[in-house]
Amino acid sequence: MTLFTKEGCEKCEYVKKSADLKKLGITVEVLSPDNPDSLAHLAWHELVSLAETQLPILVLDDSSSITGAIRIKNYLAAISHQPSAISHQHHR
Amino acid sequence: MGAVNPQVRLGGQEKEEGLRKAFDGGGGKKPPAETTNAWVASEGRGNETTDMALFVRTSSETLSDWNRQRIVDALLRETTIDRDTAERISREVEEQIITSKISLVTAPLVRELVDVKLIEYGLEEARKMHTRLGVPLYDVDQLILHPNRENANVPHGPEATNLTLAERIKKEYALLNVFSQEIGDAHMRGDIHLHDLGFIDRPYCSGQSLEYIKKFGLNLPNSLSMAKPAKHPEVLLAHMVKFAAALQSNFAGAIGWDAVNLFFAPYLEGLSDREVHQLAQMLIYEFSQQAVARGGQAIFTDINLYWEVPKHFETVMAIGPGGEFTGKTYAEYASQAQRFVWALFDVYRDGDAVGRPFFFPKPLVHITEKFFQTPGHMDFLLHICNVAAEKGNTYFVFDRGNTAKVSECCRLSFKLEQSDLEDARYPWRMRYCALQNVTLNLPRIAYQCAGEDTKLFAKISESFNKAVRAHLEKKVFLERLLSLGENGPLALLTMNKDGMPYLRMHRVTNLIGMVGLNEMIQVHLGQQLHESDAALKFGLKVIAYMKLLADKMSQKHNMRFVLEQTPAESTAYRFAKLDLRDFSPRSGYIVKGDISRGEVYYSNSTYLNAGSVLNPIDRVRKEGLFHPLIEAGALTHIWLGEARPSQESLANFVIKVFRHSQNDQIAFSPEFTTCTDCGRTARGLNDKCFYCGSTQIEGITRITGYFTKISSWNKGKLGELRDRFRNQKYFSESDHRESRPEKEGR
Repeated sequence: MTLFTKEGCEKCEYVKKSADLKKLGITVEVLSPDNPDSLAHLAWHELVSLAETQLPILVLDDSSSITGAIRIKNYLAAISHQPSAISHQHHR
Repeated sequence: MGAVNPQVRLGGQEKEEGLRKAFDGGGGKKPPAETTNAWVASEGRGNETTDMALFVRTSSETLSDWNRQRIVDALLRETTIDRDTAERISREVEEQIITSKISLVTAPLVRELVDVKLIEYGLEEARKMHTRLGVPLYDVDQLILHPNRENANVPHGPEATNLTLAERIKKEYALLNVFSQEIGDAHMRGDIHLHDLGFIDRPYCSGQSLEYIKKFGLNLPNSLSMAKPAKHPEVLLAHMVKFAAALQSNFAGAIGWDAVNLFFAPYLEGLSDREVHQLAQMLIYEFSQQAVARGGQAIFTDINLYWEVPKHFETVMAIGPGGEFTGKTYAEYASQAQRFVWALFDVYRDGDAVGRPFFFPKPLVHITEKFFQTPGHMDFLLHICNVAAEKGNTYFVFDRGNTAKVSECCRLSFKLEQSDLEDARYPWRMRYCALQNVTLNLPRIAYQCAGEDTKLFAKISESFNKAVRAHLEKKVFLERLLSLGENGPLALLTMNKDGMPYLRMHRVTNLIGMVGLNEMIQVHLGQQLHESDAALKFGLKVIAYMKLLADKMSQKHNMRFVLEQTPAESTAYRFAKLDLRDFSPRSGYIVKGDISRGEVYYSNSTYLNAGSVLNPIDRVRKEGLFHPLIEAGALTHIWLGEARPSQESLANFVIKVFRHSQNDQIAFSPEFTTCTDCGRTARGLNDKCFYCGSTQIEGITRITGYFTKISSWNKGKLGELRDRFRNQKYFSESDHRESRPEKEGR
């Protein structure tokens, strides 16, 4: 899973602090003017336009994605405890 | 040359006497009446082109006495060398002419001799300043006799020859006098391509609003008469066509018009369907047959069309006959706008008098979320898909979410920002321009990097910075022209009817394009974009890197640098040819096309290999991955070949693309053969006429972003045409699979 964030994004910080991302196997990508890798990765997931208005974005292993800090936080909380019983709002 | 002796024709004894007499006369002889103007000009009394033209005419059309002083005058006027050196050079050239016993002394020859002297004295900079721009006799002969294939939209004829000759001179001028040597050399080598050098004294492409002429009438600088705002739809159309012709003289490329059916709508109330159809027919024929202006070129015209009323125009007060506000909003004209756009596509479906597709104006239909919420959208979608299947005209422009844009050219678009959406309340302000386009030769970068990523990205950056510098240099030049205001060459762009110059410099974009991403990745990784996910991902990284560079440069220079998929009609060919010369043998394995025929090319911009066998949905999705990174426009072609898919099948395809990809724009391209003997047109590219068997035929299909006759294509594009993978099988199968389109509102 990948969490797309950017510098100076309060919601991104909130999500990062809400769970042990490393333990959950989540890679954090920080979008910045000097990071073409992250932008390319975002483009690969067809999320460039979405990221213009909504960050953070969590991309799941099946390539679906979740936006909204609260939703992501809830999702992360859920998989921390019951990874198999997750109900979330996917973007596709 | 400047003020140097015009032309001295002498022969035998007469020549010797004549020269002696001429030299004896020195500079003190009174010139013949016709040369007086030249002397006036050389004395600096005026720099107007008229004076110079008189001088030049005198130079080429009269036999005039030799006057060494004119060499001195020209050197002092045009260069920075001192008088003594100028005198010395003039004497040496004079001596050379005497001793050489040349039978025909011409002004260009004298200038060349002077330039040789400047080189001998090590005065390289002065030589450049003193350079004569011109075209060799042989080249002019060839140009007059044979067509120029750099741009398939230029027919062959006297006007086209004029255009080409003027372009040649202006190209040289641009490379010597507008761009620095570093940038000029980068272009000449093929590291970058400076587009439309032959139109150096104008901006590149533009997006227009009909509201401007609806509100202000046709009142142009230097025009012989002024017209008040149109009161009738036919007059509005006449104004639109004439304004487009005037704009074509002030922009190098396409003229796009926003929301044409909506802005015509207030003029259509009370018209019968038959009258609306007639107006639609007039509009398309007027732009389609307008191949009489610049160089015999049709005006490259795009019309942006909407089924719905775009959100940003919903509450805008409509302008109607006489330039008056009608008291209604544009939302209230939805049905009239729909009637007109439907009629336009009726005309496109019928084609011209012999059923051929119209080449211009290109209809760009915006597909938005609101489109799918607007009643009747499915019928309209089927209608425009029918046209796409039958004639190929329709371009499907996808504006997802809250995106709004004005599209034009082969794929250029101006994405509307918040300030533009606010401008929509005063829609006549909504005019946009791309000032210049510079394209990077991506495969060349890869040839030089031996597979090392660090080197590759450093080289991209280096090339990108050259493109930025080229933009800065052209901008300085254009600003100089614009500063001359109504007396300058770009008077039309400085007219100020709404409190700001017509060309709104604060809103212009500067395009940076790319050619051959596919081949760059092939050189660097050994795989083409369609061959592996790793290759595609690396391609995305390259374009992401360029996008971030564009953002940084925009901040640094307070200008808008944006990526565009360069149409690259001739650039993809030029780069491939130059790289075959400079990076052989490696490039020989990389360039696409047929080397033995000279039909070589690189894949356009971020396109996958045109010949790769891919399901069209896959191609659209994969190419679409790049599109959000390319703000100024991108397009995917779906080559149909002989296939004639059903409207339902194409409608389903369009909906899928909108819903399940990031692709910006698609176009379906069928192929046609038209017979010049019997006048009939058949599907597919054939060797002879399907109906009468004649071999006097013309192939027609889309070259890059527009339809044209194949006989006018350059070799690179011919190579691509041979390679194109036609999706005939996919659509014939999908017609069986999907005989019904998705239902409305789904």
